[in-house]
Amino acid sequence: MVQVVFEKVSKAYGDTVAIPGLDLVIESGEFVSLLGPSGCGKSTTLRMLAGLEQPSSGSIRIGDRDVVNLAPAARDIAMVFQSYALYPHMTVAENICYPLKKRGVAKADRAIKLAEVAALLQLEPLLARKPGQLSGGQQQRVALGRALVREPSVFLLDEPLSNLDASLRAHMRAELIELHRRLGKTMVYVTHDQLEAMTMSSRIAVMRAGELQQFAPPDEIYNRPANVFVAGFIGTPAMALADGSLADGGGHLVVHVGSLAVALPFAANGVRPDAVTVGIRPEDVLVGEGPWQAQVRLVEPTGYETIVALDADGLALTARVPGSNALRVGETVAFDLRRERIHLFDKSDGRRWEPAGR
Amino acid sequence: MKKRPAWIASLVAWPIVLLIAFPLLWMLITSVKPAAELFSTSPTLLPKAITFEHYVRVLTDTPFLQYFANSMILATSTTIVVISISVLGAYSLVRFAYPGRETLASLVLFTYLLPSVVLISPLYLMLVSIGLANTLASLVIAYTTFALPYALWLLRSFMAGIPQDLESAAMVDGASRMGAFVDVVLPQALPGIISTALFTFILAWNEYLYALVLVNSDEARPLTTGVMTMLISAFNIEWSLLMAASVLMSVPLIIIFAFFQRHLTSGFGAGGVKG
Ligand SMILES: Nc1ncnc2c1ncn2[C@@H]1O[C@H](COP(=O)(O)OP(=O)(O)OP(=O)(O)O)[C@@H](O)[C@H]1O
Ligand SMILES: [Mg+2]
Repeated sequence: MVQVVFEKVSKAYGDTVAIPGLDLVIESGEFVSLLGPSGCGKSTTLRMLAGLEQPSSGSIRIGDRDVVNLAPAARDIAMVFQSYALYPHMTVAENICYPLKKRGVAKADRAIKLAEVAALLQLEPLLARKPGQLSGGQQQRVALGRALVREPSVFLLDEPLSNLDASLRAHMRAELIELHRRLGKTMVYVTHDQLEAMTMSSRIAVMRAGELQQFAPPDEIYNRPANVFVAGFIGTPAMALADGSLADGGGHLVVHVGSLAVALPFAANGVRPDAVTVGIRPEDVLVGEGPWQAQVRLVEPTGYETIVALDADGLALTARVPGSNALRVGETVAFDLRRERIHLFDKSDGRRWEPAGR
Repeated sequence: MKKRPAWIASLVAWPIVLLIAFPLLWMLITSVKPAAELFSTSPTLLPKAITFEHYVRVLTDTPFLQYFANSMILATSTTIVVISISVLGAYSLVRFAYPGRETLASLVLFTYLLPSVVLISPLYLMLVSIGLANTLASLVIAYTTFALPYALWLLRSFMAGIPQDLESAAMVDGASRMGAFVDVVLPQALPGIISTALFTFILAWNEYLYALVLVNSDEARPLTTGVMTMLISAFNIEWSLLMAASVLMSVPLIIIFAFFQRHLTSGFGAGGVKG
């Protein structure tokens, strides 16, 4: 079993604190994505795990070894870099065999391993080429091959798909999922693309300014975001967030947001925060019928659905309407909300607040 | 861009080449002219008769071969010393963070800005005091003092163009830092190293001033000063021999250039590392 554990790990570059203190436990065989905006410390976290950066304090364990003072070579990891970092002066075959060579694997065994990996990633016709003679997608596969060939206990991937075009990215995403399923190895995957994180991960670690915001499976991240940041960061189009308050409407919880008073199907018992941030996802805004009116501000047809920006008396909402809709800008429409799915966050600390009975 | 016809380029290029090459051509021609023809009242461009007697005399009657060997040893050792120090130094300047790194780098450049004449006397006194005066080693040290800063700066920009991810990848793949340096950085920097080595070699091969001041025995004299002192006296300049010696002096450089030309031009073109 190869667990990866970060314990109170911090990292400062001179005066800039990149990671103030990180606690994270990645279970054996998991596919964990580190997700967050640019500069939030994803690469730094991964590079500390790889041994390419020394943490300022704290401990990192891979399996039962504390690896903080181990060289990268001794950590039994493999890493795929965003730039692929293929050795330009070596052929594809030499690139893939390099980790084996460095570990003293005999030449005959290297050839066997190379053949296996080349078959797995369909690299056979490319083995004699130099990286400069490959397309982006092919380079990416070679970089994966170099990581796979050694069968390390943990794979680290730093935005490996970000240099590929959209269709190739979708294809490689599927291949990576399949690869993880087949190998069953622990993988730590850095990305700022939430679609990648949502589709591939068993759990997602959402980071912001070096701090872990939420660490949970994709559906929980999406359906029960732990705070306002995660709520706003995950989901495209983004969740509408607005200030509101809670009240007791004859035993029912009532949310006042903008000029709307939304009765929720939850009891109003127990303590509740004074002020809240109300979060409403686009798919929970039902356009057509309902008790409220809104003006159409913007219509963005995407083919499969249409994204509609609404203004309900000063409250900005986004809705997804199926198909290419005949809505016009400036038109007034009626709408309803999926009330049981409204997200509530305590305004004082931004944390998720759950009404009793949800 | 529209492609210009090749003959226009030739029309412009060849006269320039001829202009620059003429003195060299004259040197070559003079070196094979019989002595009688050399001072005839009607100078000839092409020799009426070709003779190699001057070459034979230079090689057999003079200490030319001794000087040649000295120059070879001198230029080669200077190149080896300068390249081994500057490759490691440039790598350190590019990759490691330590206090004073930038200051160090600019100080190195500053020494390069000093005219070398002002350094001769102090250098001479220092070499005397460590007992190296009048030896080839003293020249190796002297040349290193001005070739090294230059080499460091040249190699620094080469190494700065090598993506750090390559070394990181090598280290994750099982190499030590030194291993990553040898496996990845050196091959990547090779064009830069070759051009720097070539510049250093030429610098040492052609240097005159320091050789004149620091060395005055035939055992340690390199070609530049050696040829001058043996063939130019107050009374007489042995033109034919001088030209033959000059031709022989250029041969090693020509051979080296022909051999490394490809690397040299790719060295100049580097810096735009393909992403
Ligand atoms: N070598 C360094 N020196 C100083 N600061 C650094 C260094 N490397 C990273 N940082 C800082 O640490 C923070 C985290 O950087 P990091 O590279 O981990 O971000 P990231 O989440 O990977 O971002 P991106 O998505 O843009 O790759 C940033 O604020 C960055 O400026
Ligand atoms: Mg990054």
